[in-house]
Amino acid sequence: MDKQTAWTLLQQAAETEKKRHLKELLQDPQRFHDFSFRQDELLLDLSRQRITASTLNALLQLAESCQLRHWIDALFKGDAINHTEQRPALHTALRQPKGTPFTLQDQDINADVQQALERMEQLVEQLHQQQWRGFSGEPINTLVNIGVGGSDLGPMMVCHALEELQPQAGRAIKIHFISSMDGSQLSSLLQHLDPARTLFVVSSKSFSTADTLANAATARDWLQQASDMPEQLLLKRHFIGITANPQKAREWGLPDANQLHFWDWVGGRYSLWSTIGFAIAVRLGMPGFQALLDGAWRMDEHFRTSDWSHNLPVLLALTEIWNINFLDIHAHAILPYDGRLAHLPAYLEQLEMESNGKSVDREGLSVTHHTCPVLWGEIGPNAQHAFYQLLHQGSESVMCDFIVAAKRYGGAGESLQAQHRLTLANCLAQARVLALGDNALDQSQASAWQRYQGNQPSSLILLDELTPGALGALIALYEHKVFVQSVIWNINPFDQWGVELGKQMANTLLPHVGAPVKPGTFDSATEGVLDALNQLTGGNTAS
Amino acid sequence: MNIAVWGDELAAWVAAAELARTGNQVMLQAREPEESSLRAEPGLMDAIEQGLTSGAIQQATRHQACQADIHWLAMHPSELIQAKTLCTEIGLHTQEELLIINQSNFGIGASDQLQGCLQNTALQAVVCLPDTLQQGQALDQFANPAALLIGCEQDDIRARLQALLRPFSTHLQQLHWMSRREAEFSKFAISGMLALRLNYINELANLADRLGVDIEVVRQGMATDKRIGPHYLAPGCGFGGSHFTQYIEGLADILAETRHSTLLKTVLEENERQKELPFRKLWQHYQCDLDGKTVTLWGCAFKPGATSVDNAPALPVIKALQAQGVRIQLHDPEALAALMDAIPDCRNLHFCPDRYSALENSDALLIMTEWAEYASPDYSRMKTLMQHPVIIDGRNLLEPTYLRELGFTYYGVGR
Repeated sequence: MDKQTAWTLLQQAAETEKKRHLKELLQDPQRFHDFSFRQDELLLDLSRQRITASTLNALLQLAESCQLRHWIDALFKGDAINHTEQRPALHTALRQPKGTPFTLQDQDINADVQQALERMEQLVEQLHQQQWRGFSGEPINTLVNIGVGGSDLGPMMVCHALEELQPQAGRAIKIHFISSMDGSQLSSLLQHLDPARTLFVVSSKSFSTADTLANAATARDWLQQASDMPEQLLLKRHFIGITANPQKAREWGLPDANQLHFWDWVGGRYSLWSTIGFAIAVRLGMPGFQALLDGAWRMDEHFRTSDWSHNLPVLLALTEIWNINFLDIHAHAILPYDGRLAHLPAYLEQLEMESNGKSVDREGLSVTHHTCPVLWGEIGPNAQHAFYQLLHQGSESVMCDFIVAAKRYGGAGESLQAQHRLTLANCLAQARVLALGDNALDQSQASAWQRYQGNQPSSLILLDELTPGALGALIALYEHKVFVQSVIWNINPFDQWGVELGKQMANTLLPHVGAPVKPGTFDSATEGVLDALNQLTGGNTAS
Repeated sequence: MNIAVWGDELAAWVAAAELARTGNQVMLQAREPEESSLRAEPGLMDAIEQGLTSGAIQQATRHQACQADIHWLAMHPSELIQAKTLCTEIGLHTQEELLIINQSNFGIGASDQLQGCLQNTALQAVVCLPDTLQQGQALDQFANPAALLIGCEQDDIRARLQALLRPFSTHLQQLHWMSRREAEFSKFAISGMLALRLNYINELANLADRLGVDIEVVRQGMATDKRIGPHYLAPGCGFGGSHFTQYIEGLADILAETRHSTLLKTVLEENERQKELPFRKLWQHYQCDLDGKTVTLWGCAFKPGATSVDNAPALPVIKALQAQGVRIQLHDPEALAALMDAIPDCRNLHFCPDRYSALENSDALLIMTEWAEYASPDYSRMKTLMQHPVIIDGRNLLEPTYLRELGFTYYGVGR
C-alpha cells in the first residue's frame, strides 16, 4: 500500500471515529488488556486514546507504507540520515554495551565510546575521592555545569530526577546548572560559591555557543579575581570542557587533559548519553550512569527488534499521529505525577519541538499536513491548580501524557507513602475525567458551567520505579517515538536550521545596541526600540 | 578482688593490666587486643603477658566471667546493646552485691540504662568512671591519676569502690562524686573544650599566615592570661588518635540531634581540613602541579610516642599525594608498621628506615609528627640530600628564621 492510500483510509476512518466518545470505547472490558503494552520496567497504557483495533491496523499500514523498517535500520546502522548535515544520528551507539564493535567510516566507534566513558570514570572517581584539587589545594566540592539546550536540559533533568539515588561519595559534590545568556543565574550563584572549591564544566558541542562562552568567561574572571592566580593554572584546575570540537576548546584555553569529547554524530538534544552526561555521572557514580545507558539500550533493542504490534515507541508515535493528523489535535501536555521529573517537560519540549517542529520534507517540499504539535507541561498535581481548567473545559483538544512511578518511598515513613498514594489517585482520576467527562461521576444535577465534555485522549506511562534504568528506557522511548513520527512526516528530525537565523541576526544587531542607528538599517520596529534603548541608557550599554 | 574486664578498648586492656598488677584476680575474654594500635601501647603487652604468666590474669569463658562480683566495662561505643545484654546476664547470676564500673563511651545516660538492667537495685550498682587515658601513656595515667570523676548513685558502694581504687590514689588530688549522667557529661564536656581550643588556635594560625604574624608569639601572649593558660594551644596540622576523636564525635552527634548545633561538627570538619594543610602548602608552593615530584614525610604517628596512626594527619596527606602522582619517602621511628596496615594501597610509597635516607632527591619535606629526633637535624646534610630545600613544618617544630638563613624555604603553621 502506498502512503497516500494508507493516509486516505485513515482519513475516512477518522470521519467516523471523530464522532465517537471515549466513554463508549472504555465500556469494553478488554480495553486495558488490548491497549496496554509492557516492556521491562515500563507499562504504556493507550486505552484512553481514541483508537480501535482497526485504527491501529490502519496506522501500522501507514508506517509500513512510509518504509519505517528501512528507516529504523538506517538509524541503527549509522546511515547519514541527517541528510542536511550529511551525518548519522548515532545516539543509540552511545548506549551499546562494551565489547560490541560498531564500525563507522572504518573506525570502531564503540571503542571510542568506551574510552570516553573510562576517561569520564577517572574524573568522577577523582571528584568522589575528593582528590580533584582547586588552586588552594582544597578538594572540589561544587560542580557548575555551564551549557544550554542539549548541554543543559538533559543532564539537569536526569540529575534532578535521580538525586535520591546518589551514592554517599556523590553527596560531597554539589551540582548546579547555568544556562541563561544574561548571566542572572550565574551572578546570583557565584555569591554563594567558594572559588577554591568550584569546578566549571563548560559543555558545548561546537564550543562556540555564545550563551555558554559568555557564562564561562564570567566564571573565569570571577576565579581570577578571587585567586590572583595565572589564568592557565585556573583553567587547568577549575575547568573541564565537554565538546565535539577539541580545537575550539583548545583555543579557548583548555588543555586536552581538561577536555571530554563526543562526536559530530551525536545530536545536542540526544547527547546526555555521551560525556555531556558528566554531571549525571558525578551525581550517580558510574554504575548509576551505566544503568541509565543500559535502560536506554534495552529500549533500543526493543524498538529495533520487536514486532510493531507491541513495539512501544512505534505504538506511541502512531497513536499521536492519529491524534495530530486525523483527529486535529495540536496541543500536547506532558504531565509527570512525580516532583522528581519536574524538568522532564522542558526536556521533551526541546526533544520534540526541535526535532519535529518543521514544515519542509526530506525532498525540500512543503509538507501538506501538520507535524509536531505545541508541547508543554508541568508536574501534574501542580498543573491541576494551573492549566487543567483548559484541559477539562476549554475549547482546545489536547492530548496528555501521564507519567508516574508505581513504587516510591519504600523505606520511608507512612505519611510519605500516603502522599504517594494520593498522587497516584490524582493521576488516575485526571486521566479518567479527561476521558469520560461528566460520566466519570454522576453529574446529572450539574449546571452548564459544571459540565465536562471529556473525550480528551491521554497516554499513561507507568514506571515500576524511578530508577536509572527506567528513566533511561523512558527517555529512549520518547526519542524513538519522535523518530517514528519524523518518518511518517518525511522530515529530518536531526537538524535544527530554524534556530540559526536568530543567532546571525543577534550578531548583526549587537554593535547597534546602545549606539545610534542610521535610519534604514533595520525595520522601523527594531530601529524604534534601538533608539529608545539608546536614550534610556545614554549609550552606556555599548561598552 | 575478683574482677571481670569486658571490651577490647584501650581502657579495658590497661585496666586489666593495672588491676592484675595490684593484686586482683582478673578475667578476660581474649589473650591480646585485636587492634594493633592497642598492642603497640608502650608497656601494655608486657604487663598483660606478666599477668597471664603469674595467673593474675586468666582467659575465661563468658559464663565464668559473669560469676565475678566486680565487672569493668570498657567496650566500643557501638556496643551499648551488647553491654545491656551483658548486664542483664550478670544480674541473673546473683541477687547478691554487684559492682559494675562502666568506662565505655556509650553516650550520656547509658550508665543509667545499664543500671536499669539489674534486678536488685539495693545491692547491685553501676558506677560511671570516665576514662581519661591518652594513647602512648595510658598505663601511667591509669596508675597515677591526678583527679577522678566518679558517677555513683548508691552511697553503700563507695567504700568498696574506694578500696578498689586505693592503689591508684597516691597522686590523687581531687576525687569528685557525682551522678552517673554528670560523670558522663563531664567527660564529654572536657573533650569538647579541648577540641574547641585546638580548633580555635588553628583558625588563628591560618589567619596569621595571611597577615604575616607569627602565631607562636601570639599564643605565648595568650597563655599569659590566667583565664586561658598554655594548654592545648599548639597550632598544627590537626589532632588524631581514636580515643579523643571518638568522644568529640559522640558529643557532636548529641549536639546535632538534640540541639541542632553544628559547633562540634564544624570542629571535626575543620580538623579534617587542617590535616591536609601541609599538602595545601606544598601544592601552592609548586603551583598546583606535583606530578612526578618526590616528597618526604617525617612522621606518620598521630602524635609522638605513639605507634598508632589512627586518624593521623599523615593518612589524608599520603592519600592526596598519591592521587597527584607523587613519590612519597616516609620515615617514622615507630609507626611504620601501623601505617602499612592502615594504607592497603602502597602505590608510590617508600618506607625508609632512616630519616636522612628519606630525604634523598626530595622536592620537599613535610613534618607531620613532632618526634623529638626531628627537632634538631643535621641541616647541611639535609640540604645536600634534597633536590629542593623546601620544608613544610606541620608541627612548628623548627626555627623559621634560622632555616631561612640556611637557605631553606620554610612554611610553618601560622608563621
